[in-house]
Amino acid sequence: MEILDGIGQGFSVALDPTNLLYVFLGVLIGTVIGVLPGLGPTATIALLLPLTYEIDPTTAIILLAGIYYGSMYGGTITSVLLQLPGEAASVVTTFDGYQMAKQGRAGPALGIAAVGSWIGGTLAVIGLTLLAPPLADLAVEFGPPEYVALTALGILLVTYLGTRHPVKSLSMAALGLLLATIGQDAITGTTRFTFDQISLFDGLDFVAVAMGLFGVGEILHNVEKTEKAQAVVGKIKNIWPSREDFRASAGPIARGSVIGFFIGVLPGGGGVISSLASYATEKRRAKDPTRFGKGAIEGVAGPETANNASSTSAFIPLLTLGIPANVVLALIFGALLIQGVTPGPQLISQNPEIFWGVIASMYIGNAMLLALNIPLVGFFVQLLRVRSGILASFALLVTMAGVFSVNNDPFDMWVVLVFGIIGWLMKKTGFEPGPLVLAFVLGSILERAFRQSMLLSGGEFSIFLTRPMSGVLFAAMALVITVSTLTALRRRRRSRPATPGEEDLAAADATAEPEGTPGAESVDRDARTPGTGERDDRA
Amino acid sequence: MHQTRTAAPALLAVSVLTLAACGNDGDDATGSGGGASDYPTESINLIVPYAPGGPTDLAARTIGSCLEEQLGQTVVVENREGASGSVGMQAMLAGGDDGYTLSLIAVPATATNPLQEDVGYTNEDYVPIAAVTEIPSVLAVEEGSPYEDAAAFFEYAEANPGALNVGVPGTTTSQAMELRRLAEEYGVEVTAVPFTGNAEMTTALLGGNVDAVFINASQDVLENIEAGSFTPLAVSPPEPVDYIDAPTLAESGFPELTSSVSVFGLAAPAGVPDDVVTTLEGTVEECLGQEEVRQQLGEQYVPDEFVGTDAFSERIDQIVEAYGPILQE
Repeated sequence: MEILDGIGQGFSVALDPTNLLYVFLGVLIGTVIGVLPGLGPTATIALLLPLTYEIDPTTAIILLAGIYYGSMYGGTITSVLLQLPGEAASVVTTFDGYQMAKQGRAGPALGIAAVGSWIGGTLAVIGLTLLAPPLADLAVEFGPPEYVALTALGILLVTYLGTRHPVKSLSMAALGLLLATIGQDAITGTTRFTFDQISLFDGLDFVAVAMGLFGVGEILHNVEKTEKAQAVVGKIKNIWPSREDFRASAGPIARGSVIGFFIGVLPGGGGVISSLASYATEKRRAKDPTRFGKGAIEGVAGPETANNASSTSAFIPLLTLGIPANVVLALIFGALLIQGVTPGPQLISQNPEIFWGVIASMYIGNAMLLALNIPLVGFFVQLLRVRSGILASFALLVTMAGVFSVNNDPFDMWVVLVFGIIGWLMKKTGFEPGPLVLAFVLGSILERAFRQSMLLSGGEFSIFLTRPMSGVLFAAMALVITVSTLTALRRRRRSRPATPGEEDLAAADATAEPEGTPGAESVDRDARTPGTGERDDRA
Repeated sequence: MHQTRTAAPALLAVSVLTLAACGNDGDDATGSGGGASDYPTESINLIVPYAPGGPTDLAARTIGSCLEEQLGQTVVVENREGASGSVGMQAMLAGGDDGYTLSLIAVPATATNPLQEDVGYTNEDYVPIAAVTEIPSVLAVEEGSPYEDAAAFFEYAEANPGALNVGVPGTTTSQAMELRRLAEEYGVEVTAVPFTGNAEMTTALLGGNVDAVFINASQDVLENIEAGSFTPLAVSPPEPVDYIDAPTLAESGFPELTSSVSVFGLAAPAGVPDDVVTTLEGTVEECLGQEEVRQQLGEQYVPDEFVGTDAFSERIDQIVEAYGPILQE
């Protein structure tokens, strides 16, 4: 069988000593930066990107993927012990995990998170193994109109999901789209916004922009924070959860795996959205929902499983379509392009060692993480003693050296610095860099595909609706817009204090898409309401 | 102290990168050149104006290591990609005309870039030394396409102007310009749809989103032809190529359309001493005679007849003449 052969080949690649070392390095770095608040997977991958440039592409992606799902484990630790999410997706774990720690049950909280993460991660890799090849076959049929639909849907979802201020996100996405137009036009070859600077002919370098916004922006932002993290728990006992804990968590872990898997595949999904969705599901299903927020183990097990499952399934659109589902995947997309590998439907046949090697490495990496986390939690907690000033200056040095090494062009270093300052200002003012970077990446794909479609159809817009796949995707988009407009309207009618941004958006969209049917509504609400609700509780 | 744990691999990687960028074997510092003068007496910088890992990079690194062996001086290969190769050309010119800064050039792009836009150099600013590889373009359709040969394809295109969609690797590529000349000079009009590279074009053809592709016949395309998923209709060079079973465009009724061949070669800044050009020209010719080098470059892509500085210059002049009017519109 094709898949069996493939995964066999994958393991022979992943078990190569070098690759094994890099899986280990990846998950270790991932866990460490997951523990360190403020240095999330996005910043880390952005910083390390240029360093992967001299190693074999398979090894590079294995390393970066390891960092990504490894950070999902690490983030839990600080969420539970300090009520301080080490990375965004673990924010949900602070609700119940910290309460468990206060009740002296930090051990089981961390234990169940590690076990759940392992199960969720592994189930998602199995899903990836089984689903990606047929999807890639299907994706060969995808032409420019489908890519227009997919990228537009991606940008839309990124701005709607997982953000508190859709209007701010929208404006950032618009800025990203605008930045994507800099450089030589892909269809006519004329230059745009280059001001006769050769350095701008190819547009802004994605790596430099991402490193600036995420890396340097994050560093500057953290330096400003004077508070020092202090571990509150001395010795953590009884990491391995009791049989009762397991019984309570079995359902949440199973549901979390499924929820995480499907949300991860969605463009703009993954990470915090999947854990919020899982938390909401568990809270709704619980016999006694009031226990949530007061140390319910289900509220740790489900979300932690979901965020891991989603960080794995997010690879599906990248490996099969060449479309990054979220910002971290956009960085990995960039890493592949630097290596001269174009992710897309051809990847599985032209670079099977990358495709299958990375998948196989995920089985290994998840197992390593389980082994690392259960006995070494105490050790990772010690990492919180790192002085942030040292970390920041070192990270800045690596960033500058790294970005220069990509193109050997000092111009890129200025781009990093400028975008670093922009990123820092955005953080201060509550704008998120995620939608900007993703729109920047997807924008050039979107524009090229749109104009290719126009060439193919001779300028007929109907090409987007008459082709079945793109028609379905555009219908989905209309649905998302309608549903979120309706939810926003309903919320306002209930005179619940929605954020001003959401109101503005609802007003702007009310006239945009009149049609629509309910259906995706529940998913959408799951993803959004608990987030705002719980955040209010904490504040 | 644990922060060093995350830092160490990163620092290590930085230093490795730096080392790698600084060149490979520094041990063979002595030895004299094979030319009339004692050039070269120090290490040579060879700039690749494109990304590492691509076909230009392969050509540069292969010929670079052979030059190093033959000339007894270190050849440092440096990738300076950007602006379709213009950034690298500028870097070469900035390196001076003493023969110690060379660049790989990819004709026609190198010659056509300065025709469209101010890219910081002109075609008078560099001297082509020798061609290393020549990659023809091939017009191909998917297996089972209604167009079995070039005649059927062009007949349909002539009868239905613009109805056939043909993928090309970019708007300012020789493939796109040949299709424009096909319309302007022969009245056979197809719609050229620019894609960003062979991978994307291959997907578009296999997915049935374009009717044909006019594509660089690099290794992956040859594999697809071999496997039967691509059917070649015509090839672009003036003479047929023995590894693709298709007539030339010239034989298919378009005698003018012979310029869509990518030539990767070595160039130096204008003003470089003549004996340096002669030395390098001779060394490249010697290198291209070595079996190992030919294998690495891809036997079929090494020109059958050596293209030295004069022939290469002539080729560039022809391209400027053919594409200049189209580009300056």
